[in-house]
Amino acid sequence: MLRAGLLSGLVLAAAPAHGFIAYVSNEKSNTVSVIDTDGWTVTKTIKVGQRPRGIEFTRDGKFVMVAVGDDDSIQLIDARTQAVVDTLPSGPDPELFTQDAAGKTLYVANENDNTVTVIDLEKRARLGDIQVGVEPEGMTVSPDGKTLINTSETTNMAHFIDTASRQIVANVLVDARPRFACYKHDASELWVSSEIGGTVSIVDPGKHEVIGKVTFEIPGLRKEAIQPVGIGMTKDDKTAFVALGPANRVAVVDTATHKVTKYLLVGQRVWHMAFTPDEKYLLTTNGVSNDVSVIDVAAQKVIKTIQVGELPWGITMAPGIAP
Amino acid sequence: MMVRALALAALAFTVSTAARAADPRYPNWPCAQAKVPEISLAAVWAGPELGDAESKWKDDSKISALVARLAARKTPLDEAEKSVKEFLAGSADKTANAKLLFAGLFDTLNAQRSQVMSGLERVSRKQREAADKIRAETIQLQALQDATPRDDAKVDAMSNQLIWETRIFEDRRKVVRFVCEVPTAIDQRLFALGRVIQQEME
Repeated sequence: MLRAGLLSGLVLAAAPAHGFIAYVSNEKSNTVSVIDTDGWTVTKTIKVGQRPRGIEFTRDGKFVMVAVGDDDSIQLIDARTQAVVDTLPSGPDPELFTQDAAGKTLYVANENDNTVTVIDLEKRARLGDIQVGVEPEGMTVSPDGKTLINTSETTNMAHFIDTASRQIVANVLVDARPRFACYKHDASELWVSSEIGGTVSIVDPGKHEVIGKVTFEIPGLRKEAIQPVGIGMTKDDKTAFVALGPANRVAVVDTATHKVTKYLLVGQRVWHMAFTPDEKYLLTTNGVSNDVSVIDVAAQKVIKTIQVGELPWGITMAPGIAP
Repeated sequence: MMVRALALAALAFTVSTAARAADPRYPNWPCAQAKVPEISLAAVWAGPELGDAESKWKDDSKISALVARLAARKTPLDEAEKSVKEFLAGSADKTANAKLLFAGLFDTLNAQRSQVMSGLERVSRKQREAADKIRAETIQLQALQDATPRDDAKVDAMSNQLIWETRIFEDRRKVVRFVCEVPTAIDQRLFALGRVIQQEME
């Protein structure tokens, strides 16, 4: 028994690090925290521009893009040196952005001038703007890259934009202040969270119709405290996780029944989330408690809390293991 | 000139607080942060029902002493978290003690928070009165300055008074902005300690 213990200890010590790397944008401290999932520790804090929010790895894992709204640009962090190396052009006050599956085209939502800026990621050049006419909020690209979804809090709609013609082709009314949109990996459904409405609308992307709604109820909590924002969908599309803002919880949703099966208490004002590439863990940003919660996806349990900077907003995970 | 600029700043302040008080339910709330009158239990606790722990924690002298220490803002949070762990690790009935401890913290910190918030609203009312006074006196001063013959002694006295009042007003305004952070700091403490207690119970 003792020997077995010693042996396993040895094996553990000798095992190479299999850590993944997460980058977290801290809106108030103007920094990005780098987390190594191996020891669940912050290994570096990178100074970036003013008010960093949207953050995403490039598909090749070489760079991290971070929208620094008050500097009106998107900064590029070299994942190897963990330093800001370049800036991408955007419109005024970029909040978040999304890229196509190939990682070639970037769409940036500019809060202040009702446009979406289209950027060629290889050339790092601006291709043009899409006039969406309303303040863009959440954005996502369909798995085939043909449709850009843009949610707007002025119209309470999800706008379907054809990426080739850059024209709005359909509008779907959802509940108040739609914040975030997320496709199922098989593209059969589009999920849209509504922060004020307190629901997630499930849209048939072919018919452009709402076919279902996920509702939330937490005994003892007022309805206004339940504000759905970030959504994470497992690769098999069977389970969705929804961040509920000041309800301080993540809801686990069965995608077949559209019903919540469990609520996990994470941190205060939980906002966005990201899976590790092996999908064993889900990390959430908690804006008020200034930390990141680690959820064991299979066990549906919070296993760890990591302190980061002030007002953590977005999170992105490197596609591969740490170099 | 100086006085007039200050008085204008005071005026601008009253206008901006009115504009900022987005929530019509709380006209005296001076903070940019939204007013949440009470922390609801469900926002910070996913553990077992507290039951009679809600009233009984006060009867346990050990628990109430610990609650007082953990709730004090001068106790650093990481130190407080450590104390929670040590206390629960050494207790015979962990679940019962955890419930008592959390019930005590919930009561105490919520009360602390209400006090801070009503203090903020009290100061906010006072500031509004002060702004009204400064505005009225600025008009008076203008009248004195324009009067013929001009009574320089009176003009000086009124100017000095306005400078003082405006300074007090400005100082209070800075303090208010600082104190506006306190309710959130209390939320953070309650949540962090509640989370440690729940983790220790598992």
